[in-house]
Amino acid sequence: MDPSSHKSGLKNPASLAFQSDDTRRLILGSYWVVILLALPFWWYTTSIERLSLPADRVRSQLDQEPRFPILVQFDTEQAGFNSAHIADVSSLLRKSIQSAPKRWHGLDLHISPGQSRGSTNDPYAYSIAVGASSEVGPRRHLTISEHVANSASRTSEILADLIAPYSTPRDSPIQEQRVAQYAPRYRLAFTLLNEDAVSNQSIIGWDVQGAIAEHLSPIIVKLSGVHNFTLESQVQFHAPLAFEPRPIGISDRDTFGLTQEDLTVFINSAEWTLSSSVSNDPVLHFVLFVPSADRKPLHILDGFGHPTNLNAFLLPQWGGIFILNTPSDAPAKLHLSQADLQPVFSAFSSQLSALLGLPPLPRGVTSADPSILSDWQLDALLRRRALENIRGTQDTLHSIVKLVDQINNMPVGRGVRDDVQDALAALNQAYEIAAASPLLALRWSSEALSLASRAFFNPGMLALLYFPAEHKYAVYTPLFASIAVPLVVALGKEVWAWRRNQRAQRESVQR
Amino acid sequence: MVSWSLLVVPLVVLGGVWCEEYEEDLVLRPLRDGKVSSTFTFTTVLHGADPAQHYTLFPLPLGQILREYAITELHLSLNAGKWNYDAWGYPEHPAVPTGAELWAWMPDGAASTIDDRWAGLRNALAGLFCASLGSLDHRRTSSPVQAYPLQSSHIPSAPHHLRHATLPSEHVCTENLTPFLKLLPCKSRAGLARLLNPQRLFDADWHGLGVHVLSTEGGGVEMKLVVQAVFDPVRLSGGKRRDWSFQSLFDRTINAACPVASSSSVRVFLPEEQIFSLSPEPEPQPSDESQPRDESQPHDESQPHDKSLAIYDVPTLVSHGPLDVAMQWTTEHAFQYPPPLSIQRTLHGTSQAHGALACTLTNRGPAPLRVGYLETLPALVTLWAHTIRVEVGGVGRDDLLTDLIYHPSHSPSPFSSHSSSPSSSSSPQTHAHAHTHTHGPSPSLLQATLTLPPYSTLRLTAELSRAFLRYTEHPPDAMRGWDLPGAVFFPVPVPGSTDSASSFNANHSAPTFNHSARTDSTYAQTDEAHAHIHTLPYRMHTPALLADLPTPDFSMPYNVIILSCTLVTLIFGSVFNVLTRGWVVVEV
Repeated sequence: MDPSSHKSGLKNPASLAFQSDDTRRLILGSYWVVILLALPFWWYTTSIERLSLPADRVRSQLDQEPRFPILVQFDTEQAGFNSAHIADVSSLLRKSIQSAPKRWHGLDLHISPGQSRGSTNDPYAYSIAVGASSEVGPRRHLTISEHVANSASRTSEILADLIAPYSTPRDSPIQEQRVAQYAPRYRLAFTLLNEDAVSNQSIIGWDVQGAIAEHLSPIIVKLSGVHNFTLESQVQFHAPLAFEPRPIGISDRDTFGLTQEDLTVFINSAEWTLSSSVSNDPVLHFVLFVPSADRKPLHILDGFGHPTNLNAFLLPQWGGIFILNTPSDAPAKLHLSQADLQPVFSAFSSQLSALLGLPPLPRGVTSADPSILSDWQLDALLRRRALENIRGTQDTLHSIVKLVDQINNMPVGRGVRDDVQDALAALNQAYEIAAASPLLALRWSSEALSLASRAFFNPGMLALLYFPAEHKYAVYTPLFASIAVPLVVALGKEVWAWRRNQRAQRESVQR
Repeated sequence: MVSWSLLVVPLVVLGGVWCEEYEEDLVLRPLRDGKVSSTFTFTTVLHGADPAQHYTLFPLPLGQILREYAITELHLSLNAGKWNYDAWGYPEHPAVPTGAELWAWMPDGAASTIDDRWAGLRNALAGLFCASLGSLDHRRTSSPVQAYPLQSSHIPSAPHHLRHATLPSEHVCTENLTPFLKLLPCKSRAGLARLLNPQRLFDADWHGLGVHVLSTEGGGVEMKLVVQAVFDPVRLSGGKRRDWSFQSLFDRTINAACPVASSSSVRVFLPEEQIFSLSPEPEPQPSDESQPRDESQPHDESQPHDKSLAIYDVPTLVSHGPLDVAMQWTTEHAFQYPPPLSIQRTLHGTSQAHGALACTLTNRGPAPLRVGYLETLPALVTLWAHTIRVEVGGVGRDDLLTDLIYHPSHSPSPFSSHSSSPSSSSSPQTHAHAHTHTHGPSPSLLQATLTLPPYSTLRLTAELSRAFLRYTEHPPDAMRGWDLPGAVFFPVPVPGSTDSASSFNANHSAPTFNHSARTDSTYAQTDEAHAHIHTLPYRMHTPALLADLPTPDFSMPYNVIILSCTLVTLIFGSVFNVLTRGWVVVEV
């Protein structure tokens, strides 16, 4: 710059109004104020929506359980029961409850001497009388024979088996695992599989509707309050096994055997089209397998490799299989009539009961009408399913809360929160109604379970898991770093200039 | 076990009010370009309404889908390759568009809406056939009722709605054939399905699978599973011979009959002017009282056409040993016989934003030809209707284009849901506008009628612009381009014959129908009455096109972020500097 220009009348920049220190500091300050004010907005608009879940209520739920009151009335009007006898039975039962609390989980047992049946107002009360034989009758009535009634221990055993039939020493955990998971709707798929219809013999049809009506409809109708069933059936003419059955030489004919290991891989899901994807309801399969002529007869082997008389087996939580060995002199094309299907469908019927968790009657006790389920069995099933659902709901809700606590990036939307709250409300309903009706308790518990699993599998909870925070910083840094540097430097310079100014003033004052 | 009361029953099990029937049929047709077209048709008929889902022969998975979504009529085709109408004539089944095509007619009155059922149907079929039918969403769905009319003989009285979608980029392969074969009672173990060797089928020049479900009287269902393939024996033999046999085409022979098939036949169309031999000897037909065919005897060209068909009954022949039908020519022969209409469709234009669609139609016949023309273009290309030009020999002939209907792509979708009950099928233009979709643009639909003068080439052009998509809307492998579905040329009513299409159909369904014979008779007819306008006997499909859309650099978002951040920083820095800089005068 030419020094003469200053002398030629240009203003001193320090004397300009906007060049004063105060203006500069004001400008700088306003920048910082805008940035600091914007920070909360930025934080709010970029943070993940995480609504608070009722975690305390979920945790407190874990200790709760429904109480099903069970009132058992001994008919004292007729001969057979006296108060001493009843006291014996109830003390034995109390001992059993103390020794196996898990089995009696959720049950409140009350035993009282009562009048004749029907006198009580409680429709859910069970009544016991002495009769000609031990059998369960309609309307929650049980008659026991005099011989049994004389033994207090036998009476208490029968009562225990009827009221709490699950997890008894007879039922190993393996048998418990057979029971399919609760679902309000099931599809029952019946499949007739010809291993090879082409070779010579084939079954080209079966009277499946008649057989279902005869053997399965009683169970299905009785359980219509618990589950909704859809029935379907098909026939397949070429259904090869995935393995070769082992030939076993018995007498003069060729016989084939299935070892216990073979049974576990019996289902050839690659080749057999057993169900379609049209609905999400769980399917229970019932397969009638007809081996081909050169694999006949096909027997199930026991653990020592000896053929057994059994021709049906059950795959836990999946369904049942029946192996039908047609006689070799049968005509080439058969149609199975309802009478032919009688052994098959009675096996399917017991497999269905096992899969659905229907308790069997205790030893020595028969049913007045063997074709239908007794109320004792049905009530036990309802209580068991309700308890199972409540347990499942509690576990699912607890998992959600734990998961949300652990993963900070997981969004929790309105849908999840509402579902969790609704599930908790449905659980409370189930607890309240349990005393009045086990059926309604089951309905509420099933509602709670479906809400809880819907919340758990809510797709919105996964959305941001794959967009980590580092990503966000990679986007922001180019802007924020380059803006922040001049701001910070200017601020520092200004502070430094101000302090130097202060010091200079102090020195001038001292001087 | 209880005593067996075994019943021998006829093949068709009469189980009370309903029964099921299964038939299979194979048509082999040597084509004039040396190829062999083979059409397998597996028909399962379910007589009467089945109240419960208990099936013997009908496949349960498909039956469930039809019930769940209340489908009156369903047509699914999965094809690979381009059907060469010029050389091969009309296919046995007209559904030959490239890729996947799905259309269904659904009645009103079910619990869920038509579009929910359509979505469910797509997804269920996608799961059943392992095809990407789930992506046939509202962006590809239209309702062209005129080109795809209801075909069922018995239609429930409720008003019906059509949904139609195509996916030209779908590739058919073994994973589609395997579930397809599982729907057959005997799978590929016995009967004609034995010949469906995936290695050979997917090696064919053209191959396709089809599922066609029609409603029949009394709530019954007729399901046709169709496999079509055009083999090239010249290529397979590695030489110049066009001799073929089951063994050479499929690498298999039929060694067992399906025990539940009520009929199982192989029909071979015999070429007319060639010297050929056929083995084994076909059964003499009831109508064929003339001399039995000698293996080396030349066939008289003038003999009636129904004798140019050899029929084999599979169960009787298989009982004597494996069936291997073979045809041999002593001399190689090639002859030209172009079909009356030849179609070419191309997409031009060098720029990425604009282009032009051109259809070249050649009428080789002596009579004017009137055809319906349907374009269903996805919303990513916009066709400008005002730029449609029709030329014949370089002279503009816009008068040849009539009945133009254009539903441009719109968001939200405005496509009118045509409802057509059986009584009103003659007036399919009765619209019932239903704004069904809530988001995303629907395809545009162009429909017109073209009249082709005899012995001439018509050229139709229309300009179109290509959409600039957001980068998230591009599919994987965006550089490949977007497939545009093929155009459809369909029969239209012509003066003189009130219902020409259906009469052609009736002609076609006769078992002794012969393609070359039919075209012969068509021409004989036209020579008599020159003024008669003709139309197409069936729908014709053009191959799919590939539209090259402007594709962004997919790392662009980060580049944009960096660039714009730099710009903002520069502006901020200079403004900030100007505002806060202290000026001082430096004495030098």
